[in-house]
Amino acid sequence: MKNAIKLLVLGVFVVSLFSSCAKQPTQEINDAKAAVEAATKEGADVYAADELKKLNADLTAALDEVATQDKKFFKKFTTAKEMLAKVKADAEALKATIPAKKEAAKNAALTAQQEARASLDEAKALLEKAPRGKGTKADIEAFTADLKGLEDSFAEIQAAIDKEDYLGASSKAASIKEKAASISGQIQAAIEKVKGKK
Amino acid sequence: MKSRALLLAALAVLGAFLVACKTPPVPAVVNQAIDQEKELWRAEAAVYVPEEYRVYLSSLRLARDKLIQQKARFGWFRNYEEVEKDFRAIIETGQALLEKIEKEKALRSSAGAAEVKALREQFEKIKNFTLTIREADDVRRSLTRGEVALREAEICLEKQKLTELSGKIRIVNIYLDQAHRFLFSLLARYADEDQINLWRRWAEETVAESREKRATALVINKLEKTLTVYKAGKIAATYNIGLGKYGLSDKLHAGDEATPEGKYRVVRKNPQSRFYKALLLDYPNEEDRQRFSLAKKQGLIPANAGIGSLIEIHGGGEDSLTGGCIAVEDSVMDELFLEVSVGTPVTIVGSLKSVAELLTWLKGGRR
Repeated sequence: MKNAIKLLVLGVFVVSLFSSCAKQPTQEINDAKAAVEAATKEGADVYAADELKKLNADLTAALDEVATQDKKFFKKFTTAKEMLAKVKADAEALKATIPAKKEAAKNAALTAQQEARASLDEAKALLEKAPRGKGTKADIEAFTADLKGLEDSFAEIQAAIDKEDYLGASSKAASIKEKAASISGQIQAAIEKVKGKK
Repeated sequence: MKSRALLLAALAVLGAFLVACKTPPVPAVVNQAIDQEKELWRAEAAVYVPEEYRVYLSSLRLARDKLIQQKARFGWFRNYEEVEKDFRAIIETGQALLEKIEKEKALRSSAGAAEVKALREQFEKIKNFTLTIREADDVRRSLTRGEVALREAEICLEKQKLTELSGKIRIVNIYLDQAHRFLFSLLARYADEDQINLWRRWAEETVAESREKRATALVINKLEKTLTVYKAGKIAATYNIGLGKYGLSDKLHAGDEATPEGKYRVVRKNPQSRFYKALLLDYPNEEDRQRFSLAKKQGLIPANAGIGSLIEIHGGGEDSLTGGCIAVEDSVMDELFLEVSVGTPVTIVGSLKSVAELLTWLKGGRR
């Protein structure tokens, strides 16, 4: 009788040992998913696409581990819980980095906008100084229209910044700066041409 | 005592059993396939091979589910043979997709570069053209906006951001089409069949006269900005010219900076003009006077405006902007002075192109 009781106790002990981690880590799964979604909403898909991809891959691996354990007779979700906790922590850490990355992109766009403005103003100032004559009349008319076109494009930089399309804004600003510098070069060449003829 | 010994023996057997059963390791190809999927994502497989990528992902998911099935088994009963086969097949497919993506990228990059180059040529052509068109501001403004977008497209090409490239080129074409629309509205006269036929008739009559009299004649084409010398009805030379600011318009009155159209003759050769040498034409002719009177009656020109005069072919350079005259290089004036005499016919036409040819020419052959 005593032996039977001992065996029974042993049996209960073994079963409880293996079933102590048997509950699906539903809360941990939801927390990890929510953390990844939060990082995505913050802008990780734009500003940290590679890191977000890794996070999603880690989440998939964690969910696969949950699925694996779920199919076992003696389930043990310890490893899965650790993996999910890491995904959650990594997602939260990634989310925390996004505002700084956004700010850096915004500052780069604003700097590019200022440089485009300076280049445009320089071209306008140079055109003011360009000598008016028969040989330069057509060029001056053309440059005036070109600079008006650049002003139209310049307004689009701010529109892009307002939409938080900082990379688009930077690209447009760089193009405008280049074009304005090119016009300045052409104006200067036209001025030199007139000087050379005199 | 006996039961304790039995219990210990059972535990020892169980322990030995567990130690003896080696769990087979997960095949290395599994991680390789997972890494490959990241590589495909980075290569933008969803853009370049969307359908094949979707099938690839589907296969990967199925293989992972099979792996889960095996991992869920008791270690001794796990068999990764089929799983390994599946993952190897996936890796093979993935490799083929990567190669296909590279080829597709190379094609798109090459096509994009060609398109950007063609667009740039279009822009340059129209920009040069606008130097002789009245009220070309709108055209140039559109062109400049298009050039900014074109530069952004070039940056996409340089950085191999090919998915953004097509969007940028679309914007460039929007501005180019806008510029074309402004241009067409300014060149309405050049698309008028009756006007084109009239210009062609003038040119043919002038060439016929040159042939019959075995003499020199000049035909000036304002749209193409050329001066062609005919000798005995055959082309002897063609030169580039500069026109008035509104050179493509038909001159109506003094100060309008337009170059007249019609059949004229050289009335004087000036070897020492303000612009090197000059050939004075007999503008205004009878048709010019009639147009001028009608326009004045209709109030289309200022009441105190004169009809204008002193329309010449002179030196000073083909890139000059005249007040309505036709400018050529000084060296060309030297040639013309030798070939031309007082009385030489000089016919000035707007264009000899048909409407279809004009549209094709303006669009640079674009559809």
